[in-house]
Amino acid sequence: MSRKNLYNVGALLAGLGVTFKYMFKRKPTIQYPSRKKKHAPRFHGLHELRRYGDGKERCIGCELCSSVCPANAITVIGAENSPADRRSPGERYAARYEIDELRCIFCGMCEEACPTDAIVLTPRFEMSDYRRGSFIYSKDRLLVPPEAGTGLAPDDRPNGIPSDLGRVAEIKSTVSTDEGYDATWRGTILKTQTKGLAE
Amino acid sequence: MIDQQLVTVTIDGTPVRVPKGTWLVEAAKQIKREIPVYCYHRKMGPAGLCRICLVEIEGMPKLQIACNTAVTDGMVVHTQSDKAADGRRAVLELYLVNHPLDCPICDKGGECDLQDYAMAYGQGYSRSVDPKVSKPKAVDLGPTIVLDEERCVVCQRCVRFDDMIVGERELVLKDRGVRNIIATANGEPYRHNFTGNVTELCPVGALTSKTYRFKSRPWDLRRTTTTCTQCPVGCQMHVDVRVGVVQRTMSLEDDDAISDGWLCDRGRYNVGFYDDPARVTQPMYKRDGGWVQIGWDDALDIWAAAIREACAVNPASVGVVGGGRLTNEEAFLLQHLFRAKGVANLDWRAGSQRQASPGRNGGTLVDLESCDAIVLIGESPAERAPVMDLRVRKAALQKGAKVIRIASAERPYPAPIPSTDVATVAEAIKKLPKDPKRIAIVWDGCDADFATSLLEKLPAGAQVLTYITGEQANARGAEAMGMLPFSEPGYGKAESGLDAAQMFAAARDGKLAVLSIFGANPAMYRADFARASFTAVSDLFMTETAQLADLVLPAKGPFEKTGTTTNMAGDVLPVNAAHSLETPADALSDLEMVVALAEKLGVELPVAEEVDAAVLRHLAKAPEDFTLGDARFGTSVILSPSKDPERRRKAHVEGIAFNVVVQTRVFGGGGTSAHDARIAELCPLPEAAFSPEDAAELGVNTGDYIDLVLDSVSDVVQAHHDNVGHDLLVEVRNGMPRGTIALIGGLPDSPASNLAGARVSVTNIRRAPEDAAEAIGAPA
Ligand code: SF4
Ligand code: SF4
Ligand code: SF4
Ligand code: SF4
Ligand code: FES
Repeated sequence: MSRKNLYNVGALLAGLGVTFKYMFKRKPTIQYPSRKKKHAPRFHGLHELRRYGDGKERCIGCELCSSVCPANAITVIGAENSPADRRSPGERYAARYEIDELRCIFCGMCEEACPTDAIVLTPRFEMSDYRRGSFIYSKDRLLVPPEAGTGLAPDDRPNGIPSDLGRVAEIKSTVSTDEGYDATWRGTILKTQTKGLAE
Repeated sequence: MIDQQLVTVTIDGTPVRVPKGTWLVEAAKQIKREIPVYCYHRKMGPAGLCRICLVEIEGMPKLQIACNTAVTDGMVVHTQSDKAADGRRAVLELYLVNHPLDCPICDKGGECDLQDYAMAYGQGYSRSVDPKVSKPKAVDLGPTIVLDEERCVVCQRCVRFDDMIVGERELVLKDRGVRNIIATANGEPYRHNFTGNVTELCPVGALTSKTYRFKSRPWDLRRTTTTCTQCPVGCQMHVDVRVGVVQRTMSLEDDDAISDGWLCDRGRYNVGFYDDPARVTQPMYKRDGGWVQIGWDDALDIWAAAIREACAVNPASVGVVGGGRLTNEEAFLLQHLFRAKGVANLDWRAGSQRQASPGRNGGTLVDLESCDAIVLIGESPAERAPVMDLRVRKAALQKGAKVIRIASAERPYPAPIPSTDVATVAEAIKKLPKDPKRIAIVWDGCDADFATSLLEKLPAGAQVLTYITGEQANARGAEAMGMLPFSEPGYGKAESGLDAAQMFAAARDGKLAVLSIFGANPAMYRADFARASFTAVSDLFMTETAQLADLVLPAKGPFEKTGTTTNMAGDVLPVNAAHSLETPADALSDLEMVVALAEKLGVELPVAEEVDAAVLRHLAKAPEDFTLGDARFGTSVILSPSKDPERRRKAHVEGIAFNVVVQTRVFGGGGTSAHDARIAELCPLPEAAFSPEDAAELGVNTGDYIDLVLDSVSDVVQAHHDNVGHDLLVEVRNGMPRGTIALIGGLPDSPASNLAGARVSVTNIRRAPEDAAEAIGAPA
């Protein structure tokens, strides 16, 4: 060791100083997945398809979301409601609704285009899986359960025009980051812990 | 047109020279300036109802409607001036006052004139504060059409179409003011052969097709332009495909030469069979009475071996039936292959038609419009070539042509069309207008007696145009391609073989070893061909014929292959495979089958370019010097009325015996329409029509059920002896010849086709159940 290097002990100590300083600071690392960070309120994650308060689907299969989608991620095929099995208010519903979440760029344009506030982006982000095919979300995984519906169906309103669209837009999703949520509506497999959400 | 006086009009600063009397909208189209219209339609002229076409004309104090203003010399027009735009904005605001604005669920969304004009000229907001008037939505107008009253802009295009083009006058405008709605007269279901056209005419989403309801958006569709091959008219059409399935078909508005811009309901709606689960998807071979699926290699080996063996013994024991549903190229190669093997038994005629080419007097479809008289012989063109029938109606309704029907058992034309029914040729000649310049004869190609005797007696000096409506779309092409036992491609003389009826007789007598049938269903008429030692059938479905065969080959349908077809007027039209349509993986087009078979048989076929050139050369050639009912075509067809007096014995049950006439219905054909769930409702019920006199004598009324008993048994009918007709709905039809009963042929599970020419009597008369009686329009 040359003599010159000895003079660098000061620098070494300075560096260690930084190390020790952070040792006693609050740690930013979160113990994911047992703990989760709170999202920004307008975070764009996994989609969900919403229902009205009476359980009817909001989506009317109009394909506006799929037309506006810059990533071409959405496929909608409409069909006619039958009186015996009414899926949505009005005449039309989405018989098939699929989003390829691998194509999606989470821009939220679909949400903007939807005339009934049916499709919204939730803060859910955990979609990892082993197969590409399972990233194509169809109605069975996108549609919220009937009890999660909100708002009055337009059938009950004069001239069939829903007036609560603005309100639904406000309560953007059924996900409460404060209370924790399932990663998808699939079930309880990924129920996260409520404790430990970042304060 | 006679020499036209041209005038100059200045539209938005651009001078345009057009014939005097041109409507301003049309003049503007010449400089690609679109003036918005709702009520105006090129084929129906102006109505002046909607006021959206307002333009400013210099020197006129107020805005004028461009659709009903004829151009005059020196006229200066502004279509985009502030004043014109203001006018349009005001009109649109009124249109939108009660419009439901449900574009997101409207089938027209994306191609709607109200949407487009509101975007282009509207003000973007409404000043109306009162609630909108609501009207019925999703009104079931008939088997094909759904009506949304709220969306209707009351342009009356649909009403005028029914009146001016079809002549049925079913749609009417009901009630007044904001409450006025479109409805059918008497509230009956909207039902004729051309209903689908109103969905294209309707500028908004008020009239929509049931089969296309909510299936797609216009921008999702892959469009292919092709030719409809459901009948010999050959209308040009767009085929729109999404997710591998044909979603809808649309007419070509500027197809003036063939379809005049219309489609019939069969051509428009019978397109859902491509993905039917009943399609044959694999070659099937009958072994020990049961079907086994085999691969193409085995199928071709079996087929080729049978042909090779039979040809080695005697090529006259090999026969081919079909060609009328193939493309020109396929028919050409088919006959080429078999003629190369020395086979002369080739015939496309698998039904009641004996001739498809009119020969030297054949006219174009447009020529029909300029005829002074149109004489219809045999089955109604309304059921066999519907869009050609629209030309007949156009000639009668708009140009004053006289329509004469000889000895027709068909339903009469709707009342607004002036038509005359006569019993004999002599009477028809008497009813012809004075000094006719042009007479059209429209024949169904079956029984030649009337056609030939009429041709002889027509007044000299009149130009005669002949037309043959037929059963198979490319029958004329098949004839020109040499699918006839007596002629080579281009009507060249060939070594004479057996025609289809003779082949069937030979099969019955055990003289036919191998029979190959391409896209034909002769078993609807008679089943004796199945006694050939080996029968191969190429078809899309397990038809009655396929079920009797030994080998069934899965074929491709008309939207799945490429080639050309020839229509009844001799036009050569393109057949294009629809983009992105899903085809069963193992289905082959008949062309591919023939090529594969030729390889197995060691026959060298001409290459594609040679085939194309040969096809065009033969079709471009002027037809030989023959005319309707030419003797060469013979008289023997598979389904022919029996002329044997022995079979016309006196009746014994309930007194009166009737001669059976079998009629085509647009949707009656088994084949594809039976395999299209979306149009099941359009299939007619088995019915029996009588003349009013016969009905009175029998004591039957429209809406009764009857059964039939055979009086005389021909060998053709024998097979179905115990089922000659149950629960037939009676229709009392004016103008029917006496002693005749008209049955609908081609219906699945109905023996009517086998009964042609038989003598039957009526038994077991009873009232039909209400719903069935309603379907035929019986008074309650
Ligand atoms: S978020 Fe954007 S990219 Fe994703 S589906 Fe919606 S529109 Fe398409
Ligand atoms: S989610 Fe909304 S925009 Fe998309 S099809 Fe359904 S209703 Fe239309
Ligand atoms: S239904 Fe359509 S075509 Fe008929 S009047 Fe109304 S808008 Fe016009
Ligand atoms: S008239 Fe014939 S060719 Fe034209 S649409 Fe109808 S079936 Fe097709
Ligand atoms: S298009 Fe001119 S008034 Fe309707």
